[in-house]
Amino acid sequence: MRSNTRSLTTASLLAGIALLSAPGFALAGAGEPGHGHTAAIGEPAKASAAKRVVQVELGDNYYKPESLSVKAGETVRFVLKNKGDFLHEFNIGTATMHAAHQKEMAMMVEHGMLTPTGINTSMSGMDHSKMGGMAEMKHDDPNSVLVGPGETKELTWKFTKETALEFACNMPGHYESGMVGKVAFTR
Amino acid sequence: MNTASRGLSRRDALKLAVMAGLAGVVTAYPERRTFAATQQTLDLAVERSRLTIDGATSRGIAIGGSIPAPTLRWREGQEVVVHVTNKLDEPTSIHWHGLLLLGVMDGAPGFNGYQPIMPGETYTYRFQLRQAGTYWYHSHSAGQEQEGMYGAIVIEPAERDPVRADRDYVVVLSDHTPERPDAVLRKLKLGSVSEGYYNRGKRTLFDFFQDVDRDGFDATVRNRLDWGDMLMEPTDLADVTGYSFLVNGKGPQDNWTALFNPGERVRLRIINASAMTIFDLRIPGLPITVVAADGQNVVPVKVDEFRFGVGETYDVLVLPQEDKAFTLFAEPIDRTGFARATLAPREGMSGDVPARRPRTVLTMADMGMDHGSMAGMDHGSMAGMDHGSMKGMDHSAMMGMGTGSMPGMDHSAMPGMNHGAMAGMDQGMAKASDRALGWADAATPPGTKALSYTDLKAFSKTRDLREPAQEIVVRLTGMMSRYIWTLNGAKFDQGTPIRVAYGDRIRIRFVNETMMAHPMHLHGMFVELENGQKDRLPRKHVVLVPPGQTTSVQLTADEPGEWPFHCHLLYHMASGMMTRFIVERRTASL
Repeated sequence: MRSNTRSLTTASLLAGIALLSAPGFALAGAGEPGHGHTAAIGEPAKASAAKRVVQVELGDNYYKPESLSVKAGETVRFVLKNKGDFLHEFNIGTATMHAAHQKEMAMMVEHGMLTPTGINTSMSGMDHSKMGGMAEMKHDDPNSVLVGPGETKELTWKFTKETALEFACNMPGHYESGMVGKVAFTR
Repeated sequence: MNTASRGLSRRDALKLAVMAGLAGVVTAYPERRTFAATQQTLDLAVERSRLTIDGATSRGIAIGGSIPAPTLRWREGQEVVVHVTNKLDEPTSIHWHGLLLLGVMDGAPGFNGYQPIMPGETYTYRFQLRQAGTYWYHSHSAGQEQEGMYGAIVIEPAERDPVRADRDYVVVLSDHTPERPDAVLRKLKLGSVSEGYYNRGKRTLFDFFQDVDRDGFDATVRNRLDWGDMLMEPTDLADVTGYSFLVNGKGPQDNWTALFNPGERVRLRIINASAMTIFDLRIPGLPITVVAADGQNVVPVKVDEFRFGVGETYDVLVLPQEDKAFTLFAEPIDRTGFARATLAPREGMSGDVPARRPRTVLTMADMGMDHGSMAGMDHGSMAGMDHGSMKGMDHSAMMGMGTGSMPGMDHSAMPGMNHGAMAGMDQGMAKASDRALGWADAATPPGTKALSYTDLKAFSKTRDLREPAQEIVVRLTGMMSRYIWTLNGAKFDQGTPIRVAYGDRIRIRFVNETMMAHPMHLHGMFVELENGQKDRLPRKHVVLVPPGQTTSVQLTADEPGEWPFHCHLLYHMASGMMTRFIVERRTASL
């Protein structure tokens, strides 16, 4: 897992899954909109650009803190520590984006690419040509990070303008259980 | 104040808790359905009462002034004291279903030194809450549970709840009959000889001729003979009918309603407090995320419906986004009616009530046991069978027989049969005939998901990973013809108790030799269902064992005492389907 991560330059840290992307569905580079919504929700940034660091605890199945407060134009470096037993995601997006992403992640779990406790790296040897629709499946969105149990990861994000955002874990059942928080914009 | 339909946020519950704490003692009175207190002492009276369902009033028994009994909201770690006063003219009891406690506090008369509460007497229960989650309480005397003596228990966790919700509702399902329970049992015993008194779906002579046309005469007769041997009938999914199905004591027309604002996260703590009814439950338009089973947290699993055994509880989350009403719909598996409630943004709204699903027809696969009768088959006659008419045969039933169990069968006598073609036939048939075949078939539409026991995965890891030191086989047995239900062929008062050593890891293998599903309930300890989830076996207090199937569980025998171990179908227990599960400390003499 770690050796795979090293070779990637995107904000995504989910190398095992990223490798499943078929040719023609190359990784979205940092800053390139992965969803088309990216411009509205903000954009990834270099850690050095952040003036503010926010520590977020990821647990089973919750975030601490439960909500965030940011300013438009602010760049925040999130330090994400998973204290739980399960794999969790930290994903910044709209409720609609999360709903769409939940379906993708449910499929990744169903196909064994993700397990409740981690990323199945052994799947990188799979014959991708047989995966059909799965070829488009990749967990490489710049607005998302997967954090395994015991891991600490980071995401630096520039909140460009005020919009209705949530940070959420889209592992199956986690969002539904309340592992989601609102991003409030203050002036 | 109508807390029942508003639900309680945790904050509200805490506010109430503070108020109740000041009051010191909370006394139950009618219309008051929820209690919460930091210092938990409460008085509950058991008394004759009346309840009105969809406009019809009948008699019942209330605990704490209502049916269902008031929801008890407690907190993990608290010591609770409950004074129960019997105002009936018969003995009573209250059993705390699913709670870990000292045997004498468990409330099952005749076990662990607990005596029934006699008329006019008060019994004081006192126990420390060693767990969190959704449980329930009910009478363990005669048929009183059927008459309304059931209510919910909600224990808030001492630590952070892994589930966060904006609304929190208790949903108690039950079955109600205006008949007295002893009369029901009498009819079951009298009527079962050949009438199938309550089985209105009984197959008729007309069905017989239809089956002959469909299956061929021999197959039909054989099927009939098999059913005769089983002393059951193929539609015997439930043996009592004439029930009204209730949600929080309300009938389908009463339409119990839970409010939400669109976008809110709603937790439903659903309890099957029925005497006899196994439900299929769904909320059309809302996916259901199951977060706890039998009060114990599970890894959240998203489904569209679930089958719900008597005595089980499921905590689920729904996230209604639209400004509209949704119907919570629970059909008994014999499809003799439905329980219905509404989730809505405002009072007075109602959603569509879905069409009822077909009643499944049990197949030979649901027999599981009676392969012996196959030996007597007249194979010669099979050669002459009209294969053309075999298309309609229920091959799915034959699948379940297993070839190994048919040693006496002479395959050479079946020259015309194309076994290869048969494999695919049953599926086509199930689709073509708008019927459900076999106990497990809930007629779940394609593309939707029904919860399976294999989906349940404990939220925290299994603590005791030792190989079981002892394996106990419990055969679920019965004689429908005389309405006698038994364990290992013996009625409660005639059977041998199960004995295990304190501290041992035990495996129990339930072998269901009957045509009905039995929700098996062990008091005092959770069992861990061996459902393939390795180190996360789900912890349950009731395990629904399908007809003709074998289900195994493990447990650590860490609660000394002599615990009731029984089928939670009230009339099955009443007719003898119970035993003692004795956890004894090792002594020097052993």
